[in-house]
Amino acid sequence: MNRQQAAALFSTPLVVLLAPAPLAVAADYLTVAQAQRAIFPEASAFEPVTPQLDEKQRRALEAAAGPQPPHGRLLAWRVLGETGPLGFFFTDEVVGRQDFIDYALGINADGTLRAPEIMSYRESHGGEIRNAAWRRQFARRSDGTRLRNAIDIRNIAGATLSCEHLTAGVRYLALLWQLALQPAGPRLP
Amino acid sequence: MKLRILLALLAAGFPGWSDAATPEAEPALSWWGYGELNYDRPADHPEEARFDLARFVIGAGYRFDEHTRLQSELEVEHAVSSSSDPGEVEIEQAYIEHDLRDDSFVRVGLFLIPSGLLNENHEPTRFHGVFRNFVETAIIPSTWREGGIGLQHDTANGLKLQAGVTTGFDLSKWDAASSEGTDSPLGSIHQELAQARAVDFSGHLAVNYTGTPGLKVGASLFTGGAGQGQAGFAGAKVSLWEGHMRWEVRTLELSALYARGRISGTAPINMRLLGSATLIPQSFYGAYLEAAWRGLAQGDLPLTPFLRYEQFNTAASYADLGPGLTPAAHPERRALTLGLDWLWTRGVVLKADYVDFTDSGGGDRLALGLGYEF
Repeated sequence: MNRQQAAALFSTPLVVLLAPAPLAVAADYLTVAQAQRAIFPEASAFEPVTPQLDEKQRRALEAAAGPQPPHGRLLAWRVLGETGPLGFFFTDEVVGRQDFIDYALGINADGTLRAPEIMSYRESHGGEIRNAAWRRQFARRSDGTRLRNAIDIRNIAGATLSCEHLTAGVRYLALLWQLALQPAGPRLP
Repeated sequence: MKLRILLALLAAGFPGWSDAATPEAEPALSWWGYGELNYDRPADHPEEARFDLARFVIGAGYRFDEHTRLQSELEVEHAVSSSSDPGEVEIEQAYIEHDLRDDSFVRVGLFLIPSGLLNENHEPTRFHGVFRNFVETAIIPSTWREGGIGLQHDTANGLKLQAGVTTGFDLSKWDAASSEGTDSPLGSIHQELAQARAVDFSGHLAVNYTGTPGLKVGASLFTGGAGQGQAGFAGAKVSLWEGHMRWEVRTLELSALYARGRISGTAPINMRLLGSATLIPQSFYGAYLEAAWRGLAQGDLPLTPFLRYEQFNTAASYADLGPGLTPAAHPERRALTLGLDWLWTRGVVLKADYVDFTDSGGGDRLALGLGYEF
């Protein structure tokens, strides 16, 4: 998939919000479509969604998410299977040390996580987070809203900033799911 | 209402939903930095207490295209650099990095040598204690960089392989009248690409494994000529090897490192230096064990006590000069450091520690520090 195709895939009714200026793409490992297939191989469709937060929810999210690195573009899809909704698929960008890490995350309908995929990594330091064993630590966890790097998720020495910031990003997405997307309705953390 | 919420999110700089059709950006310039502010009070000589802006570093990166980038860092040590002040202005790193494949790149310029746990990760938020540990200061030079070419390859199962050919040490810089060579033998003869002599080049090789979450284990070797074509220094050679590991499990972090260096071809040089204060050692070594506990962590703001035990000797042996002339090896130093790090907020750390030298050489000290990285 080239960039034009990716842009067409992204041309969804999402709201414009500016983020820190995105950097030119360097090491792309997965397109959005490839990440969707990797995280939800059994899915039959991905429907773009725009979560809505009121002021109270936004404040709750900000408080519960803890220290966050700068984020870039954030997108979400509802994931459908043959027999019904499977969960949600997110793409997000968090700064590693100086450049954005593009990653994708799946959250099942019951709130458990699927292992994130690294879509693009642009720095020469910290790229060890692409290692599958590290990313598998997130799989099947139900405590995504409280995850802490180096305590709940084992750190990679020499890639600490990337580990911290991706874990913080996952925590943010899990809270966003809890507040705006979970089937049982919004719940404040 | 929804628009107001979104605008509020924007104002807060918080992550939010984006239009994927955002125009493609131009190659980007990025900035980062770190710094250290330290208070140091020697137990035996409180009159020598110092408060120091030890480091102020600004980094700049520039992405020329999808696969080629600049990494650079400019450092000011000790706040003021002039002929009458102790400070220094240094280029700590300046190199071009180019991706060869998704898992490999080449780097050309002035870069940090992959040795030990700390040299490539020396920012104050990434190590325990106010000061960098003794072994990775006295045995492995601190922020040790060389100019040349380096390759890195990362495998899918967590292996990182690094190799390179660079400038090396210049033994003709050895100052036998000062104690600098006793403080750090290699730190006193490194060149830092400041009109570095480049008659003899050096090679390095480093292997690290991080394929098991929480575990890092690795080793490195650096070796090369140090005579640099200077009269009287022919045959001089420096080698340094080390092995290290870090294991992080839940709230416990354990680290260990052993490093050993050798300067060969020193006998004829030391013969000329006989009677001077500091002759060139033939071997030097150091090791440490460190345990840190994050059990007091709250959220992402851990309060981390740590304990580190170090043994090191910067002059463990000298080349044989004959009976009565060969200097005696220095006694081994043994230091116990007990400290506390408090991550004040993301990227800012407050530190306190006390170093107790358990040998008879003195040097105990209390230190307080503030560090940051962005």
